Amino acid sequence: MLYKFKMPDLSTTGDEVDVKQWLVNVGDRITRGQAILEIETDKAVMEVESPVEGVLREWVAQPDTTVGVGTIIAHIETAGR
Amino acid sequence: MNSPQAKIDIDSYEAGFLLGLYECMVQIREFEEGVKFLFLEGTMPGTIHQCQGQEACAVGVCTALEPTDWITSTFRGHGHALAKGLSVDEMLFELFGAATGCAGGKGGSMHMVNMDKGMIPSIAIVAGGVPVAAGMALAFKMQQTGQVAACFFGDGAIAEGAFHEGVNMAAIWDVPVVFICENNQYGASTHVSKVMRAATIAERLSSYGIDGRRIDGNDVIAVYEAARRAVDDCRAGRGPAFLELMTYRRTGHSRRDACHYQPKPEREQWLENDPIVRLGQALIEAGHATTEELDAVRKHILTSFDDAVERAKAQPQPTLADLTTHVLA
Repeated sequence: MLYKFKMPDLSTTGDEVDVKQWLVNVGDRITRGQAILEIETDKAVMEVESPVEGVLREWVAQPDTTVGVGTIIAHIETAGR
Repeated sequence: MNSPQAKIDIDSYEAGFLLGLYECMVQIREFEEGVKFLFLEGTMPGTIHQCQGQEACAVGVCTALEPTDWITSTFRGHGHALAKGLSVDEMLFELFGAATGCAGGKGGSMHMVNMDKGMIPSIAIVAGGVPVAAGMALAFKMQQTGQVAACFFGDGAIAEGAFHEGVNMAAIWDVPVVFICENNQYGASTHVSKVMRAATIAERLSSYGIDGRRIDGNDVIAVYEAARRAVDDCRAGRGPAFLELMTYRRTGHSRRDACHYQPKPEREQWLENDPIVRLGQALIEAGHATTEELDAVRKHILTSFDDAVERAKAQPQPTLADLTTHVLA
C-alpha cells in the first residue's frame, strides 16, 4: 500500500515549515520512528520521523522549499501494519 | 540513589504482582508511542506532552495507592492516568476530541480525568496541582475519610510560587498528601541546575519540615516501596511526605520541541537506563518470565491499542448543545 506522508504539525505558531534536507533516499527501507527529513520551523531545526515502516518511493517535498502543514511530503510503500 | 543500571531487587514480591507492574509500564510506553505516531500522521489533533522513560514513577506511586485515594496530575499526565486505572479507550477518545472521551471531548491530552477512579482533571498549569492537592488532603483530614492525595509535578514546578505556598500549607496543616516530584531534569528546555542552587529538591522540602528522599525513579520497585512508606505515613497521620524521583525525559517537552538542549552523551546514558528493560531483565533472571512471554505482553498491548484507535475514530464528536454543558460561570 502506498502511504502518503503528510507534513506533521510541528510548527509552534505558523502553518508552514522549511524543508532543509532528506535524510534517506528513494528506495531506502525505513523503520517506524526513523528520522527521514530535516526541517526548520519558526523555532528550531527538527527531524521528522516516519509514522510507518516501508520503502521510500518518492520525495515530494524538495529541499530549500517551504511546505504547508498537511501537504504530502513523501510516498512510502508499506506492507500494512 | 542507586547507580543508573543497578539491579532491581524484586525478591520480596510474587510474580503476579511484578508482571502487573511490567504490563502497566509497557501499556504506558506503547500508549505514548502510539499517540506519537497518530500525531505525526495528523490523525489526532492538538499537541502532546509525553512521558516515555518515566513509566516507573507513575506505576510505582499509583500501585502504592488505594483505588479510593486521589491524584493530581500535570500536562504530562497520560502515564499517571493509565496507572490510576483509566482505560485506553476513555483516554484515546478524549485525545480524538470525542464526546465519549473521559472529559467529554472538551479537555484533550492535558486534562485526563476520571472522578470515580480518583483522578481530578490533570492540571496544565505548572505547579497548579500543588495547592489543589493540599486542599484536597485538608478535606480528607477534616472529614476523617482516611484517604491520601498524591500530587505529581515536575522539576519545572519547584520555583513556582504556587508550589511553595501549597507545600507550606500542607506542612503546617499536617495533611495526608504525598508530593511527588518526577525530576526528569528539564523544565521545558531549562536544566534543573539553572533554577535551583540546592543539590536536591528534597532539601527544599525539608526546609518546610517535610521529610523527603531522592530515589531512583527508573526502578519501579524502589519507587513503589518509597511511595508505600509515604502513603502509610500519611494514612497514619504523619503526613505530608515527599518523594524526589530521578528520571529523564526522552522526548521533547512537547511534540514540537526538537530537544537539542539535551547533551547527546547524557541522552544516551539515560536511554540505556530504561525502567521497562530493567524490570524485564529482573523478571527473566528470577525465572518469573521468558523473553517470549514479555514480548507477548507487548504484542497484546499493541493489538489492543490499534483496536482502540479504530474505535476512537468512530466516536461521536460533541455537538453544539454540549457547548453550554459543564460550564460553571
